[in-house]
Amino acid sequence: MRRTHRHGLGREVALWIWGILVLLFLFAPIAVIVVSSFNSGRLLVAWDGFSFDPYLAIFEKPAIRDAVWVSLRVGLFSALVATTLGTLAGIALARRPGKWSAWFIGLLLLVTVTPEIVDAVSLLPWFVTLGQDVGIAAFNDGLVRLTVGHSIFSTAVVAYIVRARLVGLDANLEEASADLYAPPIRTFFRVTLPLALPAVLAGGLLSFTLSLDNTIVSAFVQVSGSTPWPVYVLSALRGGLRPEIGAVSTVMLVLTLVALGLVAIVLRRAGDSATDIARTMAGS
Amino acid sequence: MRSPRFALAIPAWAWLVLFFVVPVGYVIWFSFGYKPGIFGTHANDVLSFDRYVEALSPTFFQTFLNTLWVGLAGTALCLLIAFPVVYWMAVKVSPSKRGLLIALVMIPFWTNFLVRTIGWQVILAPEGWLSTGLNTIGVLDGPLEILYTRTAVLIGVVYNYLPLMILPLFVAFDRVGAPLREASKDLGAGPIATLARVTIPLARPGIIAGVLLVFIPLMGDYITATVLGGAKGNMVGQLVASQFQTAQNWALGSAMAVLLMLVIALSVAIGAVILWILSLPFRSAHRLVLGPES
Repeated sequence: MRRTHRHGLGREVALWIWGILVLLFLFAPIAVIVVSSFNSGRLLVAWDGFSFDPYLAIFEKPAIRDAVWVSLRVGLFSALVATTLGTLAGIALARRPGKWSAWFIGLLLLVTVTPEIVDAVSLLPWFVTLGQDVGIAAFNDGLVRLTVGHSIFSTAVVAYIVRARLVGLDANLEEASADLYAPPIRTFFRVTLPLALPAVLAGGLLSFTLSLDNTIVSAFVQVSGSTPWPVYVLSALRGGLRPEIGAVSTVMLVLTLVALGLVAIVLRRAGDSATDIARTMAGS
Repeated sequence: MRSPRFALAIPAWAWLVLFFVVPVGYVIWFSFGYKPGIFGTHANDVLSFDRYVEALSPTFFQTFLNTLWVGLAGTALCLLIAFPVVYWMAVKVSPSKRGLLIALVMIPFWTNFLVRTIGWQVILAPEGWLSTGLNTIGVLDGPLEILYTRTAVLIGVVYNYLPLMILPLFVAFDRVGAPLREASKDLGAGPIATLARVTIPLARPGIIAGVLLVFIPLMGDYITATVLGGAKGNMVGQLVASQFQTAQNWALGSAMAVLLMLVIALSVAIGAVILWILSLPFRSAHRLVLGPES
């Protein structure tokens, strides 16, 4: 097996220590938030004593409840939009490539590398123009604005993920289906879409999480009355953070983990290795 | 009847044009205008490059330099921290545990960005956990004065973007696989030589991907800088935001946004050129290429 002479052993121990330290570093602030969520004190920062009160406050304070509800709805809507548009685009890129695909991938790349703050400051005047000058009332609605704003980046991500999955799979099945006189629509729904499904699910979940996470675009395009959760937290930052924020974050963390676990199971059943799963979920 | 090849991509294309290309185009257009009076946000009847000159005036130029510094230092730190970790995960840890480790790296990545950053605010605050701990063990006397400094921002960005470095590196390392390293050892190469001549060159695409995935969003960062760097602002992202939100000078804010994108593009281009020049001496001499399925 492995030769472990003295130097080798020292290096090995150092690598293990480094690896574990970095994992601790990655979990430090999350652990702090989870622990702080049980703080009975008035401020998140100052520990007072153990209590479940912050969790009860989620249900009692309408502002928190509303913010989380806005976030969940926008997350669902924007994930639906991004997954639909991104899946179609990803299938087109994988199965019908041509001169157009270079241009289209260029556009997707541009969307992904543009700093979010630039998207944010661009969308605000644009929504105002569409809603007030052009007179499309929908763009004055907070939920619509947030859904559109969140779906831009996610659409590109879903397109990448779906394309990556289909490129890795042979087109033979779809050709066979066409040879057996299945009309294109049926081939699409019965063959292509099921093949792409793990990527579609992973992309959908990623879009949902990205939307729940989105702070910058949200802070700019939101309308009062439809404040999503991260913007609520951002504004609470100025007035002092209360333990309830930790409580909601902990609940959301648990929900995200459950959702992640489900997707990992789906991907594993589709025969992916740990590396493939990591790749799919990291969107690369 | 045959639809054009790109038919399925049309909805996504239209969506992105309507809500990305056109609005960003508007911002580029605003950047050539000016702010008319106290109550106007932008006007474009006279076009000029004046807002760009203004955005690069000494006060703001310092912020651009600072952003570039944080961007470069943050990316370098992420690479330095991630490299041994990924080497450990891909080489030293048994394959059955790798999935678990990847999952552990991804949990923070999937946790709310703002909340993670607030976690650091709690840790780094003068009355926070780290300060108390360091005082208890006697390393520090008095409160920790690190929050709202550039160091705090650097810690925050390294933390926030580290998973984006670890994941592509891991994928690349995993592809190199054990057999090639063992072959290198069997041919008499020591561990350092194997690392320098086999592992790193083959992991190069992953390293490049990781550096880009960290550097680009880091340069545009707004949240980490706001939560850990304080309101005075030391990143361009905050500058852009404040021009739109507080100063109501959309023309200047737009010019700053365009400059930010140019700085990012230029840095990436310069990095690519440097990498290309550095790789010249090694061209064709020692090239090991992996097929897609190895």
